[in-house]
Amino acid sequence: MKNRNYEPKPLFIERMNKLLGKEMDSYIRTIKKPPLNSIRCNTLKISPEELKARLEEKGWKIDQPFNENPEMMIIQSELGPGEIGRSLEHLLGYYYVQEISSMLSVIALAPKPGELILDIAAAPGSKTTQIAAKMENTGTIIANDVSLGRLKILSSNTERCGVTNIIITRKDGIALCRKFEINNFHFDKILVDAPCSGEGTLRSSPITYKMWNPKTIKVLSRLQKFMLSSALRILKPGGELVYSTCTHAPEENEEVVNFILEEFKDKIKIENISLPIKCRKGITSWEDNNYSNEVEKSCRIYPQDNDTEGFFLVKIKRIK
Amino acid sequence: MNYLKILNEREKEEIESKLNSQFGIEKVPGIIAMRGKERLFLFSGSFGEKDIKELEKCAFIERIGVYFAKLIKDEIRLSIEGSQILGNQVTKNLFELNAEQAEKWMKGQELLIKTGKRGFLIITHQGDFLGTGKASEEKIGNFIPKNRRLKERQK
Repeated sequence: MKNRNYEPKPLFIERMNKLLGKEMDSYIRTIKKPPLNSIRCNTLKISPEELKARLEEKGWKIDQPFNENPEMMIIQSELGPGEIGRSLEHLLGYYYVQEISSMLSVIALAPKPGELILDIAAAPGSKTTQIAAKMENTGTIIANDVSLGRLKILSSNTERCGVTNIIITRKDGIALCRKFEINNFHFDKILVDAPCSGEGTLRSSPITYKMWNPKTIKVLSRLQKFMLSSALRILKPGGELVYSTCTHAPEENEEVVNFILEEFKDKIKIENISLPIKCRKGITSWEDNNYSNEVEKSCRIYPQDNDTEGFFLVKIKRIK
Repeated sequence: MNYLKILNEREKEEIESKLNSQFGIEKVPGIIAMRGKERLFLFSGSFGEKDIKELEKCAFIERIGVYFAKLIKDEIRLSIEGSQILGNQVTKNLFELNAEQAEKWMKGQELLIKTGKRGFLIITHQGDFLGTGKASEEKIGNFIPKNRRLKERQK
């Protein structure tokens, strides 16, 4: 059982108050609840209808709340600890345990069969396996991560899900992009699901309260700017990139988007995104900083809006 | 050393010929890569051998595609994914388990069943492909890896 008794640090509360104002109580109530049990049907191996029928036969109550995305499922029954990962259907790779908000990056990226896609920070593989399913195991995914330990988890998950169109590489994400630029590799689509301070994951990982630290946010923000900027250089003209984090910190979100808008100017544009859950516009000012109005096209997902974890994403198109 | 080698057409045909003789499988849909002397990976992506070599200039390649089979002496044993991917082509040495046997199988236990066959069998249960077992006179040996096994129910 997870220890849910960590207390948020006063500065974290102060910052969230600035973002949410009167909604702070509703936010706090939501993040104190454990997350919903959500899964994604692995359509490389089974159809959502077949999976739903099998799981219901076990006595699980399954909801498919999004008509256009029947692969996204919520298990409404109460399950024992670890039960969701121990079922035969999970062991055979028929579903992936994945939080609803974490499924949104790939929905926004909209991978298509035959494309060449780079997933820069791919481990543990939830989004990589989702990309492969959308591509129907055609085209090629280059799935990269820097940590050997995390790559083992990525390999294990992509194997369980039967992903055959993948090449897994090990390199620092920024260095990899530089190498690709030098060697003239360009991608149709790129996912930058950046390392972040994880403020959005407090429901599933309450220990984040303890680890939260404003200095880390600054360090991560710098890294994220370099990572996103490096990735945009290897995107084909007309290509699309999704940048996402599981944090609410504006320094890791809107500030990063504003940075690349200033750097790339008319070479990129921010795209509108249509998602199956409620999302809010990106903010255009934080503390002493003002951001471009274009940043408003980003999506902020707050836990209290959809009973999910918190998330941030933005879709960027390379114009030239 | 975990050297990764892309098999050429002739080498791929040798693998397909073994799969055909053991299970009736005609075609492996994609590139086959070999790590070490026995682990086989199936890659269905659009990258060819030349692209993969170019990619190696940029980063260390940890893995290509999915682990689908292991070469054991002159025979081939399919992994769970190998049996799922190639299962629709299998015409021989397929063995269907009942529910009780399937549960034992997925717990990693050998099955005390006289199949009347010897050698590798592809194991199925009600449409699920559950990897490969090795039949001897008295039993079917189990190769389900630990991280894919059903755990005993907690009491």
